[in-house]
Amino acid sequence: MNSNLFPNLWRFVLLVAVQVLLLKQVSVTAGAYFNVLLYPLFVLLLPVQLFVPYVVLLGFLVGMTVDYFYVSFGLHASAAAFSGFARSIIFKVVEPKGGFSGKEPVFTPHYFGWPTFTKVAGLFFFIHIFWYFSVDYFTFYYFSDIAWKTLASWVLTMIFVIFFGFLFNPKR
Amino acid sequence: MGSLLQLFIRNGGFVTLVLVEAFCFYIIVQFNDRQQAVYAHSFGRFSGNVLERRQHLLDYWSLDSRVDSLTKENSQLQQELANRGSVQLALRDTFFSVRYDSLLRSDSVRQRVMRPEFIYLTAAVISNSINGANNWLMLNRGSDDGLQSDMAVVTRSGIVGIVRNVNRNFSLVMSVLHRQSKISAALKREKAFGSLVWEGGDPEVMTLKFIPKHFDKIQVGDTVLTSGYSQMFPHGHMIGTIIQKPEQDPENPYFLNMQVRLSQDISTVQDVYVVKNIFDAQIDSLQRSIRDEQ
Repeated sequence: MNSNLFPNLWRFVLLVAVQVLLLKQVSVTAGAYFNVLLYPLFVLLLPVQLFVPYVVLLGFLVGMTVDYFYVSFGLHASAAAFSGFARSIIFKVVEPKGGFSGKEPVFTPHYFGWPTFTKVAGLFFFIHIFWYFSVDYFTFYYFSDIAWKTLASWVLTMIFVIFFGFLFNPKR
Repeated sequence: MGSLLQLFIRNGGFVTLVLVEAFCFYIIVQFNDRQQAVYAHSFGRFSGNVLERRQHLLDYWSLDSRVDSLTKENSQLQQELANRGSVQLALRDTFFSVRYDSLLRSDSVRQRVMRPEFIYLTAAVISNSINGANNWLMLNRGSDDGLQSDMAVVTRSGIVGIVRNVNRNFSLVMSVLHRQSKISAALKREKAFGSLVWEGGDPEVMTLKFIPKHFDKIQVGDTVLTSGYSQMFPHGHMIGTIIQKPEQDPENPYFLNMQVRLSQDISTVQDVYVVKNIFDAQIDSLQRSIRDEQ
């Protein structure tokens, strides 16, 4: 547990910093369809064996932190908490027989390979982004707007995620 | 307790999610203007609907008490109306109109505040008959409610009978469809007065007797009201309309007989007012003094 603490703490700080200092500004200047939400990567890269309620609560925490800088209380928190829960369901698909062991501490290409990582991360981010825009609009009356924004944001975010994977590919 | 803990370990993620999302929704609605507006709009519509349905349901449940309060209000209005009528007669000679409320007013002759003459009490008919030669009704009010014998029983649209026997909670009313009932009635247009009796048969029709025969302009459709001379019925209460040309009384050639259709169908009467004349005892003792002399 202790060996996991500092990598995750660093990821938390760095991803939130990148999100609120860089990506937020980019989305403000580049227009409404240019939304990159990279910080959920922190939730995805939490230890795979972590108790699910903790994942949900940590998702809520990172979401609230981002919300604090976005001045949108609860939006990112709601989305990140939900994707934290969704992560546990998605992981059931890629779970090896008998459950995760200590051999794969975090969900990265290093342990699971690029195809699995891309698929799972794609689904994870899609759920997160879709939930985020649904809560942002707070009604399905504008469903087409939500769908287009989700799609655009998802494509951009996935580029950043894969880039992150190539760049760091963490082992812890 | 152990199984509860196991349940949480298995579904803890979901439970936490629900709690966290509930909290998130709360703060979203609380701190974000746009989401708050959406929430207010949708929930306002929803809750408006729900509240309206709830009100419909409550309306239905409270129907009974509302009807009761309405009948009470009606009885008060009736009471005011009846008392107003009786006092207008008393003030007629003095040629000035006094603005008064109808319950307490000054009498220019007596120089003191007059009390109302009639009190209206609500009651419901709990048994009724119309097919016998002598018919009776029973009311759900008795002496505990202030009823006494010889009080008139009326409805908004007509007359019903006279209270005869009273016990604590119920009372027997001699229907106007009774051989002995004899009600002092007057014609509205001609101002002639006579006695209204029932000769059996048709429960909607009574006979008005002892109208002097010089009232030859009486027409079919004329209105018959209570005369107010009987001390039981208030003055000017609707009784019915004349349905037949007046005929000469076969027993007494100086008077006319005429058929009157009751405006209140006795067979369908449900809610009634019992009229209490406050000065009943005084009038009664006065009349008895004459009777004793004779």
